[in-house]
Amino acid sequence: MNGIIELNLFQFGLVYLLLLVILAIMKKSRIKQTRLLLVASLRMTVQLVLAGLILTYIFGNPQPIFTTLYVCAMIGFSIHRVLSKNPTLNRRFKWIVALSIAGAGLLIELFFIKVVIGTAIFNPQYAIPLSGMIFGNTMTGLNLGLKSFTESIEAEKNRIETLLNLGVRPSKILLPFVNNSLETALLPTMNSMIGMGIVSLPGMMTGQILSGTLPAVAILYQIAIMIAICTVVCLSVFSSLYWGHKTLYNQRNQLLIPGWYN
Amino acid sequence: MTAILASDKLKFKEILNFPPVAIDRGEVIFITGRSGSGKSTLLKMFNGIYTPDEGAVYYNGIDISELDTLALRKEVLLVAQGVFLFSGTIQDNFAAFYDYRELPPPQAEMIERFLQLCCMNFPLAARCNTMSGGERQRIYLAICLSFCPQVLMLDEPTSALDAATANRLLQNLRDFAKDAAVTLLIISHDPSLAEKYGDRVIALEGGA
Repeated sequence: MNGIIELNLFQFGLVYLLLLVILAIMKKSRIKQTRLLLVASLRMTVQLVLAGLILTYIFGNPQPIFTTLYVCAMIGFSIHRVLSKNPTLNRRFKWIVALSIAGAGLLIELFFIKVVIGTAIFNPQYAIPLSGMIFGNTMTGLNLGLKSFTESIEAEKNRIETLLNLGVRPSKILLPFVNNSLETALLPTMNSMIGMGIVSLPGMMTGQILSGTLPAVAILYQIAIMIAICTVVCLSVFSSLYWGHKTLYNQRNQLLIPGWYN
Repeated sequence: MTAILASDKLKFKEILNFPPVAIDRGEVIFITGRSGSGKSTLLKMFNGIYTPDEGAVYYNGIDISELDTLALRKEVLLVAQGVFLFSGTIQDNFAAFYDYRELPPPQAEMIERFLQLCCMNFPLAARCNTMSGGERQRIYLAICLSFCPQVLMLDEPTSALDAATANRLLQNLRDFAKDAAVTLLIISHDPSLAEKYGDRVIALEGGA
């Protein structure tokens, strides 16, 4: 395998020309999201350049504190993104979501780095990219699960109230919504697993192959990370919704869903 | 004689005030009042869905805040305005609601008896999702009646019915309540129905 061909600034700049294609299609289709596209592209560039600079420094100075701070920043950002997308959750539910993201993510990451790979948990070469994939996917899965949960509860208000009036335990009424939302959150990850290797070569594997890693090694890592991602999405969504739904009623079996009764 | 259901003067959310009430077993009570006067809220305080800010509700002389709310709701059953039915047939719905109450599915004859009580002459295999609002409302009412509650609270049960069906239904409900000593609390905007079928009318003040 050859090493990666390094891009100079001119070559790198050429890729931005592709944005013109998107802009042209947006204009023709009258999609008024050109500003968002430009902001997103700019933000991505700035954020990744900054991340690159920080990672270069951390890789040059592999101290546990730097790895820890970087991973904590990722966790904090994931939690912030999920909670800001779900502002209607009550305070206890938000705490449960935050703890689920951090707990499930760190647990799987620890297992992956320490047990599967067998290296030091603070090794930035492994801890940081794996954290990115784990917490990034947790964020997406959880957003999907919470959205499905809150929307289906709102849509089925009549069903919930009817069963509550019949003397049915709130947990028995709400658990089917937990189960359905968990399924919704897991489907994209499982679908991408089905298409993997045939429809798509995933980003991590592509990156490894581009940088000169043998495809056989890259495949092993990719399979391992996909299973880890599926597990972390499942764990974080399940624990968020399973414990979170219990905050939606009190000991008197009265619902505490914002906007319904208060 | 201890009232089956009673309350002090109740306050809820500062703007709503309810007069003290005492309702005996087997009574048929109509609750009237303008929209926003808190009729539905009152029923939700009687089955513990809401807790009053001031005052207490008593079931068989016991403050309901000391009772298990799930057990209370099985005895003081509220049929709210919005009717929910599962997809499937009438029989499927009986089975599904019985399953939620952790009871075995009822016999066909029993289902038919309660459907007739609610003026519904439909086969048990009829699908509920093609039925009108009034028909769905009566199927749900039949399911609730079949649970044999001590108190049955109905929030505008005749709102989607024509006058003849409404009269037949209320007569059947009144007869059933008197035979089985079931207490009925019925919210209605129709004073003539309240006069005709109620033992008493509680008129709530306020509202729009």
